[in-house]
Amino acid sequence: MAETCVRVRVGTEQYAFPVRHVPEVAEMGDITPVPGAPPQVMGIRNLRGEVLAVFDLAAGLGAQGSGSPERIILADVDGRRCALAVDEVLEVAELGEPEEAVESPFLLGAVLLDGRLVGLVDVPALLQAIAPAESR
Amino acid sequence: MSLDPELLEIFRQETEERLDRMIDTLLAVEAGTAADDAIDQLFRDAHSIKGNAGMVGFDVASKVAGALEDILERARAADALDPALTAPLLRAADAIRASAVDGQDGPAASAMTELAALETVASAEPPAADEEPAEPVADAPAAAPAPTASAAAPTRTLRVAADRVDRLLDAVGETVLHRRRLEHLLGPSVLEADQRLREEIDRGDVLLEDLQDAVVRMRTLPLASIVGAFPRAVRDIASTAGREVRLELSGVETQLDRVILDGISETIVHLLRNAVSHGIEPPDERLAAGKPREGTIELSAQGRGDRVAVTVADDGRGVPAALIAQAEREGSLVDVLARAGFSTAEKVDELSGRGVGLDAVKRHVESLGGALDVWSRPGEGTAVTLLLPLTLSLLHLLLFERGGQTFGLPLASVLEAVTAHDVSSLGGRGSIELRGESVGLSDLAAVVGAAAPALPESPPAVVVASSTQRVALMVDAVTGEQETVVKPLGAMLSGVPGYLGAAILADGRAALVLDPSYVARAGATRRGAPAVATPAVAPATEPPRLLVVDDQFTVRELQRSILESAGYPVETAKDGQEALERLRRGGIDLVLSDLEMPIMNGLELLAAVRAEAELGSLPFVIVTSRGSEEDRQRGAEAGADAYVVKGEFDQQALLDTVRRLAVLR
Repeated sequence: MAETCVRVRVGTEQYAFPVRHVPEVAEMGDITPVPGAPPQVMGIRNLRGEVLAVFDLAAGLGAQGSGSPERIILADVDGRRCALAVDEVLEVAELGEPEEAVESPFLLGAVLLDGRLVGLVDVPALLQAIAPAESR
Repeated sequence: MSLDPELLEIFRQETEERLDRMIDTLLAVEAGTAADDAIDQLFRDAHSIKGNAGMVGFDVASKVAGALEDILERARAADALDPALTAPLLRAADAIRASAVDGQDGPAASAMTELAALETVASAEPPAADEEPAEPVADAPAAAPAPTASAAAPTRTLRVAADRVDRLLDAVGETVLHRRRLEHLLGPSVLEADQRLREEIDRGDVLLEDLQDAVVRMRTLPLASIVGAFPRAVRDIASTAGREVRLELSGVETQLDRVILDGISETIVHLLRNAVSHGIEPPDERLAAGKPREGTIELSAQGRGDRVAVTVADDGRGVPAALIAQAEREGSLVDVLARAGFSTAEKVDELSGRGVGLDAVKRHVESLGGALDVWSRPGEGTAVTLLLPLTLSLLHLLLFERGGQTFGLPLASVLEAVTAHDVSSLGGRGSIELRGESVGLSDLAAVVGAAAPALPESPPAVVVASSTQRVALMVDAVTGEQETVVKPLGAMLSGVPGYLGAAILADGRAALVLDPSYVARAGATRRGAPAVATPAVAPATEPPRLLVVDDQFTVRELQRSILESAGYPVETAKDGQEALERLRRGGIDLVLSDLEMPIMNGLELLAAVRAEAELGSLPFVIVTSRGSEEDRQRGAEAGADAYVVKGEFDQQALLDTVRRLAVLR
């Protein structure tokens, strides 16, 4: 069952996010660094009155990013939201079933597209790891 | 059968209200303080619950309510309710709540059995007419004056879903931001040039302020709205602990922000539990000390300017004299008590009992922008006070810059802004004199851990006060004031200490709002000094090698960075199995582990470590988001050496624990 996904580029690698978990993409904008936060958290950003934490996706997935991402995608899992920094947003389109298996806790699999592997991201797993739901 | 969720929600809310009222009434009847129509009211509530539950399909709850109704009908006919029935009836109410509200039918079965047994007894012995207590029974385990609605004319109320009020508040907040952006875009020259424009903008300010005030006040609720469960809780805890305790409530009409109220409910129960179990003495001990058999705990609330003080006070044995003496030396009873109750190395004893969980309470209150205070006199009693901000929604902030970044602090926590000259230095730390007292200086950059160029000569300093501590925070420049909504930073940053949230500035950027208690505490320790971070371990010996075990990537990395910058070599593992394999290879001196992990969890890892001869006495710290007392007990029983709660832990607590235990290796 093909799913509509947002396909992004992180360095030389490509990843896909199901659109139901990505309500928006935006420019990087003004990021306020948060001293004391882990290095993978680039900072916080104001998006129309909402304060979002911005996470460097390259660091999260273990990919080699450009070092200066220019776009953010908004990740939303059951109302828990954060921004993921990427180098480029390529397109929003249907992606086939992930046929290739991948060894990563954050990927559901990989799709072969025009001769390259595109990792299909398990957004709930990623968000649970970097922005866990409170148990309170 | 699918039921309209809104209907279900209404049913749940109404049932909860009825159950709460029934519980209050049952306690009042037991204490002899109930109104004349109490039994009638109980019957009517049971009857309504039975009917409604049946209607929406909650048959189990309906059956239990029906059994309750039968017993209450007989009581109504006899115009008397045997106090001995109170406990089983309370349990039946709990079972109904479990079934109808939480969806758990388990407790209902035993409740039904109990009620069935009572029915046979009740029908055999109708309660005698003179059993009605003429005055409050002195030996009742707990007697609480039920917080009933006053007899005065009821004010009109409207039931509105909470998130609608929140959305309204958000919309008002957005409007304020919009106004500020408008002013920013117009610029001072345009505004000055056009008189009518200026007047209209000013009028807009007043209108908006009124609107803000009105909406903010909608978010407040009286403390009374959460105290409903407390008399019952105190009664149950007292009866388990073998104490006789009376709970008194005062000032419960005091208003607090709804979010803060939600946040302190559990905390108050915890303080009440501590007061009953470790504060109030057993009845015989009290008599021997010349006190009344029954101990008194008072829960009171009082407005203090822009703060509200919520106090749990008892007339029990007070804090051990040894701790008071220590507090006098160190300056803060709260800190001494919290530390005493923190370690799980020894079982909970007299010394640590009163402070159990106090560190978590303190951090939680501080995360709400408040403070904790403790007063105690051995033999007389103890009072724990939560000092809470009136509202979280809108804070008046002071804005300043450091290292090219704007930060804010709640104006309420700022004593004044001064210039730091005539600095005297002692032990590498600077301080200035402020009206005859010495106040320590700290570089804001050092406090939060930001990289920044050197401060200017005689820099401006913001004097921050929190509880009993003060610090003068040096900054590059003070830039202004702003009243604004402070937004939470979100789950990703919940483990990072020192911030209340973020504020949106006029130019649209987000600015971090500092937590005044964190800043004041940091200022009191050496951390505020603008010096290179020195390793926490003497350089002569090799620092202990640590293993951090957690299935969450950011948590592992956060702990790693805290520990590595203190000079410890750190390795990580993402579950218990991986950790155990690494530990078996040797070379690790201390383990910091989460509880919830796949494959092998923290407790299983701990058990495995303690079972192996080579690893048996390895210092083991549990670092987890679960901070309940049962979790601590389990950790202590399994052999953990200490327990740090994630999300509330700050760097210093983690480092102190590691330093203390690393010595044991």
